[in-house]
Amino acid sequence: MPDDPEKISPAEGDAPPNRRDVLTRLGVGACAVAAAGSGAVTLDFLNPKVLFEPATKFRAGSPADFPEGTVRFDHERKAYVVGAAGGVFAMSAVCTHLGCITRYVSDENAIACPCHGSRFDLEGNVTHGPAPRPLPWLEVTLDADGNLVVDTSVVIPRGKLFRA
Amino acid sequence: MSARWEDLLMTRLRETSVWRSIVRHGAAGTNRNRSLIVFENLFLHVHPVKVRERSLRFTHTFWLGGVTVVSMLVLVATGVLLMFYYHPSVPQAYRDMKELAFVVDNGVFLRNLHRWSAHLMVFAAMLHMLRVFFHGAYRPPRQFNWVIGVFLLLITLLLSYTGYLLPWDQLAFWGVSVGTNMAKEAPVVGEKIRFLLLGGNVVSENALLRFYVLHCVVLPVALVLFVSVHIWRVRKDGGVQGPREDAPPEVNP
Amino acid sequence: MSTLKVVESRDPLVVPRRVALVRPDTRPTVRRREERYVMTFPHLIIREVILFQVVLIALSLVSLFFDAPLEGLANPLETPNPAKAPWYFLGLQELLHYFPPVVAGVLLPGLVVIALVVIPYARVNLDARPLWDGAGRRKAGIVAGSILALLALVSAFRCGPVVVPTLLPGVAMLAARGAPEGSPRARLARVTLPEWIMTWFVVVAGLLTIIGTFFRGPGWSWVWPWLPGSVF
Repeated sequence: MPDDPEKISPAEGDAPPNRRDVLTRLGVGACAVAAAGSGAVTLDFLNPKVLFEPATKFRAGSPADFPEGTVRFDHERKAYVVGAAGGVFAMSAVCTHLGCITRYVSDENAIACPCHGSRFDLEGNVTHGPAPRPLPWLEVTLDADGNLVVDTSVVIPRGKLFRA
Repeated sequence: MSARWEDLLMTRLRETSVWRSIVRHGAAGTNRNRSLIVFENLFLHVHPVKVRERSLRFTHTFWLGGVTVVSMLVLVATGVLLMFYYHPSVPQAYRDMKELAFVVDNGVFLRNLHRWSAHLMVFAAMLHMLRVFFHGAYRPPRQFNWVIGVFLLLITLLLSYTGYLLPWDQLAFWGVSVGTNMAKEAPVVGEKIRFLLLGGNVVSENALLRFYVLHCVVLPVALVLFVSVHIWRVRKDGGVQGPREDAPPEVNP
Repeated sequence: MSTLKVVESRDPLVVPRRVALVRPDTRPTVRRREERYVMTFPHLIIREVILFQVVLIALSLVSLFFDAPLEGLANPLETPNPAKAPWYFLGLQELLHYFPPVVAGVLLPGLVVIALVVIPYARVNLDARPLWDGAGRRKAGIVAGSILALLALVSAFRCGPVVVPTLLPGVAMLAARGAPEGSPRARLARVTLPEWIMTWFVVVAGLLTIIGTFFRGPGWSWVWPWLPGSVF
C-alpha cells in the first residue's frame, strides 16, 4: 500500500480536502453510480415489452344485433354486451368482490357471481351480496365496417349508452 | 470530528438504535473494531481477522480463486434474472432466446454476461487448480480441500454443460447429443446413466426439463455448499498457500 | 493499589493478540518463522472489492461487444457438420478420433479424475525433492523406459497430437538429468516428478483442446483455421 492504510480517521477540523479524500469520494461515487445503473438495467429488464395476453379490444358485431333486452356474454373477453333502450353498452363480467367471473342467469334476468353469491342487475348495479361496487362499464366504439368494438381496458362512466 | 458532511452523517447513523442493533461494532478506526467487522459478519468471517502480508501479493495466488468466485456471483445474479424470461419447453425455449435478443430490454447484455461469465468460471477454475498444484498447496494439511476442489471443478463443468442445452438451438442440441453419446460408452451403467440424464433415449423436451432443473436448482445448491466448505477450509487449514519457497517445512527434522 | 494502564496501538501484531500453546508434534503450519500480519479489514477486503470490480467491468465490456452464439432452432433431423461439444470437452472429442470410445470417453477421463483426487494422498514426493536429486542410472532407466512405452502406446493408436507433447516434456525431463549447477538446465533439474506429470498432462490436454476447437472441420477432418471456408 503506497499510503498509510492504518490512518482511516478523517482529517481533523476544516482542513482542505487532500488527494486521498477526493479519490475516496470519487471511488464511492463511481460505485454508487454503477449500483444505481445496475438497478436501473435490472428493473428495465424485468419490465416485459410484449405481452402474450388476449387483446383488450374485440369486435362484438353490428349494433342491430342488440335490440333492447339482449345480453351477450363473451366468455373469452370476460365482458357482457347489453342492448338497452336507446343504445348499447358493454360491461365487465369480473365480479368486483374477488375477481370471479359472473354469469348471466336468463331465468331471473340477473347477473350472478358463483363464488360468494353477489348479484347484479342488468346495468351492473349490486342487488345483493358482498360485491362492494357495481360492474364497470366499458368503452364501446364503432369501426369503419360498422362493427361495435369493445375495449376492456377503458372504463367509462355508468349510464353512458352507445347510440348508433 | 471532521466537518465533512458524510462523516457527520455516518456518525449520526452509527448512534441510531437501528444501526446499533444490526452492526454492533464502532467505526473502523481501531484494530479491535476492524477485527469485529470481520468476525461479526457471516460472510466476512470466512476470513481470519488477520492475514499474512505475503499472502496479499499478486503472485501468491494470482487471485484465481477470487476470479472464480466473482464469476460465480455474476452467474447467479444474471442466471436468476434470465429465469424470469425462460420456459424450459420446446420450442418456447428458443423463442425466449429470440425474445431476449430482440424484445426484452438489456436481454442480450444479460445473456452475454451469463455466457461469458460461464466460460470465465470454467477457465479460471482450471487455472486456479494448476496454480494450487504447482505451488504444492495440496499437501498436508490441505489434502481434503484439494479433493473438494476437484469436485467443484466437476460441478462447474456439469453446470456449464447443462446450461449449454437450454437455448435449444442447433449448437446446444448437437453439443449435448455428442456429449451424452460419450456417456453411453461407459461399461454396464453408461446406457442407464444417459437414459436417466436425458429422461429418454434421445435429447428431447424431457432432457431440456431435466437439464433445466439440474442447472437452476440441483447443481447451484451443490456448488454453493461445496464452495462454502472450500473457502471455510482454506482458513481452517492455515490460510492461502503460496509458492513453494514460502511453504513451511513439511517433515520434522 | 496500581491502576491498569490502557495502551492504544495500531500494530496488528500487538492488538488483538492470540496466544497458542503448541506441542512439538503438532502440524507444521504453526511452526513457521515470525512474519508480518495485516488486518483483514481493510487490507484484504479492499483487494477483494477491487477484484470484484475489475472482473465485473471486464465481463461487462466483453458482453457489450461480443454476442453469445445462437444458431437456428434445434433440429434433430439435421446434424451440423462438424457437431462439436463445448470447448472444454473438445479435447475428449479429439481423443475419440483416435481411441475406441470406451478408452477415450470413459477410461481416460475417469483416470484423470481419479488421479486428481489421489494427488494429495499419494504421499510421493511430500518433501518436494527434485526428480533427479541423487538419482542413479536405474531411475533414469525407469523414466526413459516409461516415456518410450507411452510413446509406443500412443503411436500404436496413430495419435499424433499426443505423441508430440509427450516427446517434448519427455526430452526436457531426461535432459534435466545431471545438469551442472548454474546452467540453464539447472532450473529443469529442480522440477519434481508430479510436476513433470502435470506439465505433460496440461500440454497434452491443451493441445488436444486447441486442435479440436480450431483445426477440425466437416467430418472431423483437419482444416487450417486461417484458410477460407473453415469454421472459424
